[in-house]
Amino acid sequence: MGFYMEKAPKDIINTGPTGDDINPLDSIRAILLADVQEGLGALERQIDGLQRRTDTDKVSLQQQLEDILVELEQLRKKIQKDAEELIPRIAPELGNMIGGAIRDSRDEMAEALGPVMGEAIRVQIRNSRKDMIEALFPIIGETVQRAIGEFAKELQRNIDAQLRRSIGPQGFLRIVFARLRGIPASQLTLRDALPFAIREIFLIQHGSGLLLAHYHPSKDEATDTDLISAMLTATRDFVHDSFGQGEAENELDEVQYGDQRIIIQSGRTAYLAVVITGVEPEGFRAKLHTLVSELHVSHGIVFERYNGDSTTIPNLRPKLAILADEFAGVEEVAEPLSRGTKLALAIGSLLGIILVGLACFYLQFTIALFPMAFPPDTPTVTPTATYMPTFTATLTEIPTFTATDTSTPTATFTPGYTPTPIMGIATGNVWVRPEPDYSGDLRFTVLRRNTPVKVLSVYGSWMEVEWQAEGILQRGWVPSGWITLFDPVPADQITPTQIP
Amino acid sequence: MTTLIQKKICLLGDFAVGKTSLVRRFVEGRFDDKYLGTIGVKISRKVITRSYGQLNLLVWDMTGGEDLDTKVRMSYLHGAAGALMVCDLTRSYTLDVFESYARQMRTLNPRVPLMFLANKVDLGNERVISDEQLLSISKALGGRSFYLTSAKTGENVETAFLHLADLIEEKA
Repeated sequence: MGFYMEKAPKDIINTGPTGDDINPLDSIRAILLADVQEGLGALERQIDGLQRRTDTDKVSLQQQLEDILVELEQLRKKIQKDAEELIPRIAPELGNMIGGAIRDSRDEMAEALGPVMGEAIRVQIRNSRKDMIEALFPIIGETVQRAIGEFAKELQRNIDAQLRRSIGPQGFLRIVFARLRGIPASQLTLRDALPFAIREIFLIQHGSGLLLAHYHPSKDEATDTDLISAMLTATRDFVHDSFGQGEAENELDEVQYGDQRIIIQSGRTAYLAVVITGVEPEGFRAKLHTLVSELHVSHGIVFERYNGDSTTIPNLRPKLAILADEFAGVEEVAEPLSRGTKLALAIGSLLGIILVGLACFYLQFTIALFPMAFPPDTPTVTPTATYMPTFTATLTEIPTFTATDTSTPTATFTPGYTPTPIMGIATGNVWVRPEPDYSGDLRFTVLRRNTPVKVLSVYGSWMEVEWQAEGILQRGWVPSGWITLFDPVPADQITPTQIP
Repeated sequence: MTTLIQKKICLLGDFAVGKTSLVRRFVEGRFDDKYLGTIGVKISRKVITRSYGQLNLLVWDMTGGEDLDTKVRMSYLHGAAGALMVCDLTRSYTLDVFESYARQMRTLNPRVPLMFLANKVDLGNERVISDEQLLSISKALGGRSFYLTSAKTGENVETAFLHLADLIEEKA
């Protein structure tokens, strides 16, 4: 049936019915399909109409599109023009709005702009590294300068403190021993100036990371010590398993962050983690090793069986405190002196200076008086042997000499001046007397050794000499044995001793 | 003087089952989550007041999705007093790792109690793991029970942790 329905209209339309060959079937078909044919014709007409309309619309649409494009172009130009005019008017308002937003919502703005600014800075550094360096140098340079300045000040304070500390027997011996080992004192001072301090000590169980004991210098215990010990254990395990390649003896023994370090000393069931600053002193690690060993000897089983119950473990804080106390002190020395200490030091220094001055004066005085206290005996013996008879008679008041004494007593002393003075030098420290006489205690000053003298006269074995002592011209009689003459005294200028 | 007891517990489970979210619901933390990505563990603490004093639970939250046989992860299990094993109710394969986790934990700590948590119960429509499955695996691995939890709503989170604390104290 379908087959027929498809063929019939074509046949009918193309050939058309004729009187001779009209088939009754065709006639029936034409009758039956008349409506269909009519519908088809109407459809064809509609299609033609639509086609025409489409063509018309297409032209119209093209026209409209062109008009729209023209309008768009005009709009674009207008917007551009308006924008150029608007920017100067909007800019101040926009600035005010942004300023207001920053003032009112500083945190939100910072949070919003932070990532953008960070990225912008990164891009700018990548693209214009040199410009960024120049721009940032004043800030970074000043910051670095300030940091170095602070460090230098701290170092200077520490060195001063260390110098104060080194004044004393222990400090002196330490310097001497360091010198013997080839370490200059400057290096020793610099090394000591880097402050060493123990900040915290943890005793931690292996594996579980449970805290066995903790020491902190302040009385208030630090918080989160249990968390820190657990995290430290995890980090230690991570490093050991990642880099230790399963070797039990390879363990993390030091962690550094900033100026602080964690020194780790491991034992069989527990390990010590000591947080320090500065350079650890000699023997510090050996001390840690000893402490860990001692703790394991006395509490090893307790450490091993520890299940987190604090009542099952003894208080080990005092033992950790001993370690901290043993290595404490450097930091205390590094602290600046108090006002009272400074005053005490100043007074002490002043008293010290006064004492030293007094000691010097006493020493000088003693030296000056030494010849008086212990007069030289030897020089007096020799001249006495020769000339004693002359004066012994006088002193013993023998009547024989009493008579002569009245005859010409003064004549023996007065004419002794030599007309031309002769130069000489004292060969030793010798008492000077007002007269050429040993009798009585008439010595009044000392002629120092090597003092140049001018010989004014000679009386027997005595010489009258003149010399300068501390800018003062002095004169007196000395035994001639103590004077070495540069030129001999002419015999005619010697006043002979009066012999009774 | 107050008695202080510290206990280490481990939190184990496949990737993205919600372990860290559960911890955030329960504990007070100090360390950032970034440690999970760096060394594979983040430690937090929950202080529980008891009649005898104070119980500090130190929760070792470990990254999931890796084989526990690796040495690093094994080290982290040492000295644990208990463990929470977490799966995701919307992903059935997150149960698969329970067996290996339980085996490793028992190898190192034979008597420790294990607690099983089925997380994301708030996503009820997407649930693919039944209670029967959970009960079965819990019993097979030596657990007593399991909890349906939600880190999002907090449902059963604290209860599960406290129950584990009770079990740990019973064993001690």
